[in-house]
Amino acid sequence: MIRKKLAAAALLLALSLVTTARAEGDAKRGEVRFQECAACHKLEAGANEVGPSLHGIFSRKAGELPDFRYSPAMKRSGVGWTPETLDKYLADPQAFIPANRMPYAGLSNASDRADLIAYLQKATQ
Amino acid sequence: MTTKLKEVDVVIVGLGWTGGILAKELTEAGLKVVALERGSMRTSENDYALPNIRDELRYVVRHDLMQNTARDTITVRNNPQQDALPMRRLGSFLPGEVVGGSAVHWSGHTWRWTDMEFKVRSNYEERYGKKFIPEDMTIQDWGITYAELEPYYDKFEYTAAVSGKAGNLGGKIQQGGNPFEAPRAREYPLPPLTPILASEMFSDAARNAGYHPFPRPSANASQSYTNPDGSKFGACQYCGYCQRFGCEANAKGSPHMTVIPIAMARPNFELRTNSWVTKVLKDSDGKRVTGVTYTNILDGEEFEQPASIVLLCAYAINNVHLMLLSGIGAPYDPVSQKGVIGKNYCYQTGASATLFFEGKYFNPFMNAGGSNDTIDDFNANWAFDRTPHEFVGGYVVAGGFNTPLPIGYRPVPSGTPQWGSEWKRATAKWYQTAMVINASGSVMANRYNCFDLDPTYRNAFGLPLMRMTFDYKANEHKMGIHAAATINTIAKSMNPTKLNPASARTDPWTVVPYQSTHNTGGTIMGTNSRDSAVNKYLQSWDCHNLFVVGANVFPHNSAYNPTGPVGALAYWTADAIKNRYLKNPGPLVNA
Repeated sequence: MIRKKLAAAALLLALSLVTTARAEGDAKRGEVRFQECAACHKLEAGANEVGPSLHGIFSRKAGELPDFRYSPAMKRSGVGWTPETLDKYLADPQAFIPANRMPYAGLSNASDRADLIAYLQKATQ
Repeated sequence: MTTKLKEVDVVIVGLGWTGGILAKELTEAGLKVVALERGSMRTSENDYALPNIRDELRYVVRHDLMQNTARDTITVRNNPQQDALPMRRLGSFLPGEVVGGSAVHWSGHTWRWTDMEFKVRSNYEERYGKKFIPEDMTIQDWGITYAELEPYYDKFEYTAAVSGKAGNLGGKIQQGGNPFEAPRAREYPLPPLTPILASEMFSDAARNAGYHPFPRPSANASQSYTNPDGSKFGACQYCGYCQRFGCEANAKGSPHMTVIPIAMARPNFELRTNSWVTKVLKDSDGKRVTGVTYTNILDGEEFEQPASIVLLCAYAINNVHLMLLSGIGAPYDPVSQKGVIGKNYCYQTGASATLFFEGKYFNPFMNAGGSNDTIDDFNANWAFDRTPHEFVGGYVVAGGFNTPLPIGYRPVPSGTPQWGSEWKRATAKWYQTAMVINASGSVMANRYNCFDLDPTYRNAFGLPLMRMTFDYKANEHKMGIHAAATINTIAKSMNPTKLNPASARTDPWTVVPYQSTHNTGGTIMGTNSRDSAVNKYLQSWDCHNLFVVGANVFPHNSAYNPTGPVGALAYWTADAIKNRYLKNPGPLVNA
């Protein structure tokens, strides 16, 4: 239990460090940005549709949910989802994890990505 | 043995756009609705997600989402002197057979048909005189107006996430849109798709020739979008797999990801898949229908589903077939021209040129279902004088690509051998550097183009197949000549390295190759029970609690794709049922 709490605290610290390292995102604007994702991704736990549920994404590794059919590329990627890795992924999904199956060309604007990630950090807990 | 089930308020036969819209609207009104779909359940997440959906062999060559002709098909002939033969393989048109129907595999082209169509006979008689319309051309006014349908077009466009540019807002012509369209109350819900190079080149050439190109309105969401019902759309990714596929990005407006899941979430709706309706049952007095008989095609069990209201929402051809099988309304006879069921079957015509440009790279594998710019100068443009050309109707011309898939799309200049190393060299050289300009033309009703029950062939249920008698007439041949000339003039002005020119089609219609899944008529709408099968609310003149919804009610076919008015009429009928029929069940128009 204590170990878990420590780990959570360490994660929180890590998250806040990363957040300060990137552009500060606006979660409110990010909620609007999320419309780009919402046709395929839900935020509720277990709600896998065309894309996997995003619930708890920042405590997951890529391709980890047992009941979603990921691409081999996603499973093999070894990426752990942090605001930083998600930022890279969303900037150019095929460049960051080649041959993944998400039909999305990417979000090129860095501040749009920061907003979206700020929103996801709140909404996926 | 037939099991009789408990009566429900509404039974819907077929769950595509029309069935889905009516299911959503009527469950909202509190009615207990059962939908019977002969196809299986398909969803975006299980069936249309990557990578499995990008399978041309499965979906295009083997017709995975389409009607199984081993179970039921039509017989076909060009004229009443011929013996009709069964169409044993799909080709010219591709009716869908899954939850979502043909609206899963459509391209999304969404047009507003106008009073030019709805008042076709009056318009042509007034401007060109009665003699201009050939005697065997059985066109008639539809009994509905554009003004009546405008709010329903709007509703459908906002439901289906249509991307486009208005050309006429409340009578004011808008730059960049179709200047010949009828006035619309507001803009499209989404801006136009990003144009592709081939389409831009076509637009420039068309503009230089004095025409008015505009982006084709299509239910391919140009941006992410939430429709008024809360259904969520992703942005189109221009993946190239649109027509004949379900959308991998939930970007193509389809009922399986909009109206159907909304109905399915309600306790007063039930969907039964693999349920094949064989008959609509009439009351003893013949003035009402009492329900339908259907077979579960997985185990062969037969059921009777009684209902207070029956809605036929299958593919246009299958709606007509069911009317003929059920003996509702008088079957049409092309010799005496008596009867109405089966009358005015229409299709579409067209012409196409392929242009080859050495050194250009079109990336034809990347596009949306509706990437092509279009001109309407020879269709909705009423100022275009048909007198010297002697045809009724019109055609639209578009440039670019529509789902140019690697197996099926192999453009090579004419004269290239059809196989062998020379063909291989040519296909490698020209695949990237070719583009298409094509025309889609109207087909006017003719007394001999019709449906009836085939006297010889039967389907898997032992029921007679429906027989289609169809050919293009002189009117369509003349239009084809005009369309081919227009295409070739534009094409030559673009100075292609090589050109396979368009030529007018004058040979008889056949079931191959693919032409368009735009079959219309057979249970047409109109102002009186003598000339039509249903009234302006798509209500049967014979049985007031039966509505027949779909392109089968169109008295003729226009140059435009049919889904705009199909969707609008479904909403229009839903309103008529909710607001008028339920309060006072009976004929909504006096016969």
